[in-house]
Amino acid sequence: MQPKLIYKGAEAEIYLEEWFGKPAIRKHRISKAYRIPELDEAIRRMRTSHEANMMHEVRKLGVPVPTIQHIDLESSTLIMDYVNGPTLKEELYRLSMHGRRERCASLGVLLARMHEGGIVHGDMTISNVLSEGGKLFMIDFGLGDFSKETEDKGVDLLLLNRAMKSTHYAFHTVLFNAFMKGYVSIAGEKQGKEMLHKMREIEKRGRYFERG
Amino acid sequence: MVLYCLGIESTAHTFGVSVATDKGEILSDVRDVYTSAPGTGIHPREAAEHHSEVAARVVSQSLTQAGIRATKLAGVAVALGPGLGPCLRVGATVARALSSYLQIPLIPVNHAIGHIEIGTLTAGASDPLVVLVSGGHTAIAAFSGGHWRIFGETEDITLGNLYDMFAREIDLPSPAGPEIEKLAQKSSGFISLPYVVKGNDVSYSGLLTASLAELRSGRRLEDVCYSMQEVSCSMLAEAVERSLAYTGKKELLLTGGVAANKTLQSKLSEVAKLHDAAYYVVAGRYSGDNGAQIAWTGMLALRAGVVAEIDQARVRPKWRLEDVDIPWRDEGAA
Repeated sequence: MQPKLIYKGAEAEIYLEEWFGKPAIRKHRISKAYRIPELDEAIRRMRTSHEANMMHEVRKLGVPVPTIQHIDLESSTLIMDYVNGPTLKEELYRLSMHGRRERCASLGVLLARMHEGGIVHGDMTISNVLSEGGKLFMIDFGLGDFSKETEDKGVDLLLLNRAMKSTHYAFHTVLFNAFMKGYVSIAGEKQGKEMLHKMREIEKRGRYFERG
Repeated sequence: MVLYCLGIESTAHTFGVSVATDKGEILSDVRDVYTSAPGTGIHPREAAEHHSEVAARVVSQSLTQAGIRATKLAGVAVALGPGLGPCLRVGATVARALSSYLQIPLIPVNHAIGHIEIGTLTAGASDPLVVLVSGGHTAIAAFSGGHWRIFGETEDITLGNLYDMFAREIDLPSPAGPEIEKLAQKSSGFISLPYVVKGNDVSYSGLLTASLAELRSGRRLEDVCYSMQEVSCSMLAEAVERSLAYTGKKELLLTGGVAANKTLQSKLSEVAKLHDAAYYVVAGRYSGDNGAQIAWTGMLALRAGVVAEIDQARVRPKWRLEDVDIPWRDEGAA
């Protein structure tokens, strides 16, 4: 299998390729011309190792992530298992309302586990969740971090809510409510309320408005 | 008929007065800048005293340079914030007096919006992602829904602060950007320093501490200046790249006092190129604080009916730019 470019972001390129006979994902952090080479290399190396570390920590909290097969800091590359399934964003289009609620509640459980364990995602959208036969995997921990701050957790919730609104406008309230149900089942009612309050407060500052 | 607006800037070290027309011409631009001794920062009360002493002369010179009489003015605009309270009050007092005496509207202007408007006017941008860098701001903003929205900013000190606070410790004069840039050119090697980007935000306080520590440990000043400049500008460039990718804006505008920095300019132009965005920089003479940014923004506001009653035109030292209603700007491409 020839490596195939499947996604190009501002920071990294994602390739689908073969790793010891099995399909795998290669995430390569690209060099930036606006940074001098010494700095550029150090940053890409640090972030590659940080992302691998975050994925490892998240997995310990019982949150499925693709298994990392290989870390190459020299080329700032991660090779991880290929999750054979659509993003949650895509899957939500074709599920029944019941299925949608179920998936979002599962996501709520996963994010609450992370938050309770002191980790925030930093770029929490339904495009950064993959579904393989109904089992959800979290991906893209490039902006993930250790944090117990309500503010950081609130940003995760806000970004998720925004993503649901912008792609599934007709039923985004159902999705988010189902997500909160799952979240609260782990984090508790009190924490859930506090998070919603924080989310609205952050939203009012008007920074995270929709693109386009 | 041409409309004339007088603008007064006194938020920090500069007392500046300018006359702008509704056609976007800047007819005059007179400034008098308070300078502190090397190794010391701006002293708010002393700066305010300086402003009070020069105010009358700067106003009258500005009118002379513009070639118009005060009675021809359609309005007087003043930067009511954000800035240093004592300094702001000098500008506000002069503006209230002129407005009352000439019986013309008083127009409240936010200093940061002034940097943005003079930037779009002089560079020719229409709907840009704005990078505002000055002593008081390090912010990435885009216009939407009648307000400028902040996409990213510094979590602690600004880029201008970083350079000025570093310079103060080693007795360089302030504003220190140009001097640091000169020293950086004589560097012979890069020193690793903390690079902190959190999403679209940057944090410079750790970089300041580490730069000073490197210097005290015996590193060459030139190398520290070079490394601090490289790291700080690269951090901002990355935050800007994220914001540009996110908003999909096709224009990038750099404005504010630190916009004159060549390293920052070249990095941001690379970022614009990567995302097929047109790149603009505020005209050099209007990068630092000036009256023209207030006069021109005042003219835009006046035409949109933004005026203040004299007894309500109080200074607002902490006035955030996203809180300003902007009725004069179209939604643009967004």
